[in-house]
Amino acid sequence: MSTGQGAAAQGRPVAVPRVRAPRSFWQQSTRRLLKNRLAMVGLAVVLLYLIIAIVAPLVSPYDPAKQNYDAILLGPTGGHPLGTDGLGRDSLSRLVFGARTSLAVGLFTQLIVLTVGIPVGLVAAFSGRRSDNLLMRFVDIVFAFPDLLLIILLRAIFGGSIFMVFLAIGLVNWVIMARMVRGQALSLKEQEFVLAAKAIGVPWHSTLIRHVLPNALGPVVVLVAFGVPRAIFAEAALSYIGIGVTPPTPSWGTMVQDGYSVIFATPYPVLFPAVAIAVVMLAFTFLGDGLRDALDPRHAGLGKMR
Amino acid sequence: MGRYLAFRLAWLVPVLFGVALITFVLMHTVPGGPWDRDKQLAPQVVQNLNRRYGLDRPLYAQFGRYLWGLVRGDLGPTYTYQDRDVMVVIASGLPVTATLGGLAFLLALAVGFTLGFAAAVAQNSWVDYVSVLFATLFASIPAFVLGILLVIVFSVTLHWLPTSGWGTPAKLVMPVVALAALPAAYIARVVRASVLEVLRQDYVRTARAKGLTEQAIYGRHVLKNALIPILSILGPELAFLITGSFIIEQLFSIPGVGRLFVQGVFQRDYGLIMGSVLFYTLVIALLNLLVDMLYAVVDPRVRYA
Amino acid sequence: MRKNLYLLAALLALVMVAGLACAKPAAAPGGGTVAKEQVFRANLAGEPAQLDPNRASWAGEITVVRQVFDGLFDFNQDLTLKPMVAREIPTEANGGISKDGLTYTFKLRNDVTWSDGKKVVAKDFEYSLKRMLDPTIAADYASFYYDIAGGEEFNSSKETDSAKLKALRDAVGVQAVDESTLKVTLKRPRSTFPQVMALWPAYPIRQDMVEQKGETWTEPATYIGNGPFKMSEWVHQDHITLVANDKYWGTKPKLQKIEIKMITDANQELAGYKNNEMELSRVPVGSEGTVMEDAALSKEIVRGPQLVTFGFQFNVKQAPFDNVKLRQAIATALDRESFINKVRKGVGKPATSWLPPGMPGYDANLGKEYTFNQAKAKQLLTDAGYPDGRGLPEMRFQYSDTASNKVIAEWLQAQMKDNLGISVKLEPMESKAFTQLVNQEKHTWGWFGWGADYPDPDNWLPELFGTGGSQNHTLYSSKEFDDLAKQAMAEPDAAKRLGLWEKAHAVVVRDAPAAFMFYREAFWLKKPRLQDLITTGMDGQIIGDFFYPKSFLVE
Repeated sequence: MSTGQGAAAQGRPVAVPRVRAPRSFWQQSTRRLLKNRLAMVGLAVVLLYLIIAIVAPLVSPYDPAKQNYDAILLGPTGGHPLGTDGLGRDSLSRLVFGARTSLAVGLFTQLIVLTVGIPVGLVAAFSGRRSDNLLMRFVDIVFAFPDLLLIILLRAIFGGSIFMVFLAIGLVNWVIMARMVRGQALSLKEQEFVLAAKAIGVPWHSTLIRHVLPNALGPVVVLVAFGVPRAIFAEAALSYIGIGVTPPTPSWGTMVQDGYSVIFATPYPVLFPAVAIAVVMLAFTFLGDGLRDALDPRHAGLGKMR
Repeated sequence: MGRYLAFRLAWLVPVLFGVALITFVLMHTVPGGPWDRDKQLAPQVVQNLNRRYGLDRPLYAQFGRYLWGLVRGDLGPTYTYQDRDVMVVIASGLPVTATLGGLAFLLALAVGFTLGFAAAVAQNSWVDYVSVLFATLFASIPAFVLGILLVIVFSVTLHWLPTSGWGTPAKLVMPVVALAALPAAYIARVVRASVLEVLRQDYVRTARAKGLTEQAIYGRHVLKNALIPILSILGPELAFLITGSFIIEQLFSIPGVGRLFVQGVFQRDYGLIMGSVLFYTLVIALLNLLVDMLYAVVDPRVRYA
Repeated sequence: MRKNLYLLAALLALVMVAGLACAKPAAAPGGGTVAKEQVFRANLAGEPAQLDPNRASWAGEITVVRQVFDGLFDFNQDLTLKPMVAREIPTEANGGISKDGLTYTFKLRNDVTWSDGKKVVAKDFEYSLKRMLDPTIAADYASFYYDIAGGEEFNSSKETDSAKLKALRDAVGVQAVDESTLKVTLKRPRSTFPQVMALWPAYPIRQDMVEQKGETWTEPATYIGNGPFKMSEWVHQDHITLVANDKYWGTKPKLQKIEIKMITDANQELAGYKNNEMELSRVPVGSEGTVMEDAALSKEIVRGPQLVTFGFQFNVKQAPFDNVKLRQAIATALDRESFINKVRKGVGKPATSWLPPGMPGYDANLGKEYTFNQAKAKQLLTDAGYPDGRGLPEMRFQYSDTASNKVIAEWLQAQMKDNLGISVKLEPMESKAFTQLVNQEKHTWGWFGWGADYPDPDNWLPELFGTGGSQNHTLYSSKEFDDLAKQAMAEPDAAKRLGLWEKAHAVVVRDAPAAFMFYREAFWLKKPRLQDLITTGMDGQIIGDFFYPKSFLVE
């Protein structure tokens, strides 16, 4: 059975007649993305969150670590618009500073998932049965990997650090992505347009990027959108075995967990960080859907521009 | 197909061995052992415990002994459940977890498919928006928070359902819902994305141009082709659900197997750690195999010689 | 987008408001007549790992074991000893203790039976004690009984030859002289020995049951005890049911049944209580204030001091904590009153000394010099050589990471910063990793606590603060303390002993190997229908577990 690598060996990229000039492909995609209103709202929200995270000290009303024992577990009040936590710290300030950790965790882990998961999935599907089998058995092992043990070990060796969090979460979460991309690619690689591209000598990487990937992108976007809150909560779980951010640095996930332990006293400590996480996930969903639409050249013809 | 199946089943051995080796090395490398207690045990007592459980032997001998036991179906004793066999502990929790996880899976599947398909067919309609909100809501509230909210509403306030435990259908309701919420949202989104993906394909357009009814298009082309990515995520989801969720079992005090691994790790109960990891490996590998077989069933272009 | 957001917020708010509405539970009627159904339901917070009395060590295990077995002695509500299976507390006067303090003769009652009707005899105690010291059984608490002649030798033997092991077992100084006389020989005098014999590892057990079923003898069919209740059901990880033992030799319990659930989540325990699934519940840390403000729940609160002390222990061999002035500065810079009163809503008691209230040797005035005083703390810091914290190396604080420990750690960090101007790096750790770090004395400064095994300073001072003490992780070493402890351990006169312990305690408090923080207080909810719940400072996992035979339910 022929593979993508075979196609690469057949033709030198320069000699190949291009289906569409790459510059115009990206330009068109960008233009389509910019026209998509929901995607732009999503992008704006993500950017806004990032800016808030960066200028956190300027916008937060209080020092997020400052404890005030006369203002414990307050609900929203004038002085504290989102209330206070069990040590009398201002929840809004903690939410603003928590954006730093939680956005970093959400984004970087998904970056790892994308950069490892997609290539592994594509390579497995396109590189022949032997390496497919080996890669997928490796994936089976990673699926069952006792990550909790590794994390405790990493903590012992390297101490608590945010990079360990990226690594620990990214390490085990790329496998679902890899298996899904592989499944898509296995089916796509036998479809007419991919076979046709191969027949006219389009290099395999070009086929992958222009034809296979855009057609697999919808589910990829969903996985990433779900991966963001998942990573944010994973960080919170990790922080409880001493590998997340070190207290008193806040993160949204730990705020939800801390809030859970006082849920019979007040619901706000859980409510506000959960809303913050929901909004960022929604923004990623819209942005991701827009990206997907923009990268699909056939999209314009369907007339479903939002 | 038969040969492929045999080939894949044979590959279970190296996969299981690999996981066993990694787990064994990791659990003996992490700081803290089973006898590290807040009230430190006397050195003589620790020595007795080590001898009792064979932990005084060199590591390679312990590993060899474990593998030999494994071949004979003996997973050794737990330290935390009064020396009961790990096999017995897993076997007694499995029906519980499988019931809970199986029901949650069915619920997630039904809700997810309905919502996802409806959202794709009616893209950008209110159905679509409700589905995205539903998905976002349940992905942004962790299961333990959703669980306690259900408890507060249905047990503490309305007194309709018991708060926790196992054994009656009423006790199943909240854990099943709490467990199914996130997978349902996830499945809904993936179904929507995959169906939309297929709707854009040339052959659907061709079919429409040929004048096929929408019903025929969905039945013959869309559903079948959209199943591939859905299958890819369902395998791991099902594996996760039927091997148990630590969080839900802990929250609702359900005597399943989901708690075993995490408890094993925190107690450094070596037998429990090895047993539960290998059990999970077996389930995930078999389900990934099943998914691979189903790819070929759903889409005959995917072939395994 | 904006519309979507509002909708989302509204949805979330709806769920939360539904949650808020929960606060009022159904009121339960108080008073009334004795209920027909005497079924008491409580929660153990997890599956017991062991119900074998010889091997048990966790509070949850002991709570169950206590209902099913009676030992030679037990504790009164004031934590003094009372005879149970033994006819009297042995003294020199009644011939129970030999002149040299080395031989104890326990006279047993003749009317004590097992739940299957067989008579409890001295042999049952002999078997149990020797089994508990058997190295192959590997009992956690075996080291508590090393004072028994031959006990340590037997328990620490690496012998595998069964004949030689048997010889070691036979050499253990425990002997059933006749059916109702148990003689125990010690290798050194130990005035607290009767207390140690009141603990669960020394409860009698049935040789025939153990030999019939081996390790699984703790399942209901063979779990035969001599206590007020017997086990009728153990559904692993789900619940344990105890029923009244109709052959009980003592006053029969009023409760017919105790149902013990295994809910680990603190919020769920409270929810179950509010949903009338249990008569008792803990209150999750942080929710105390809400409970006190609740009209109905505030009437159901049960509080009581516990023999448990928490504090911040230093590794005194590591700079900068080898500096006593620095340790004293830290201990003086903690506003414990504010923590207890405001963060903990008054639950617990600020601690400036080690021995808790209710423990012999407790002195309310000891350690008053550590009462929060910022100016004094700063002066001490200057005296230590670090004016305003200048020149201090990075101070690291380790703790086992739980929600409540995290609050403590963050509070400590803020106190150090606000009151002394010094910064502390927090190092949360996974529980076993932390425990190992402390057990190997590789920590620098850590959160720790101690709960009483039995109510005597010899369970609290020498092991923790004596040179080379098995639980001494501060590495504190003082000749003054060691000498006092040594005298106290050998002193047969109770009043003199206590005086010596008080002096030794004062030495520890002065040298501050730890900055003590608070004494724990039990904070529970109890349905009014549960009557005569008697609590003590040494209750196990469930409050009142020493006296369930006296409790009953009303309608």
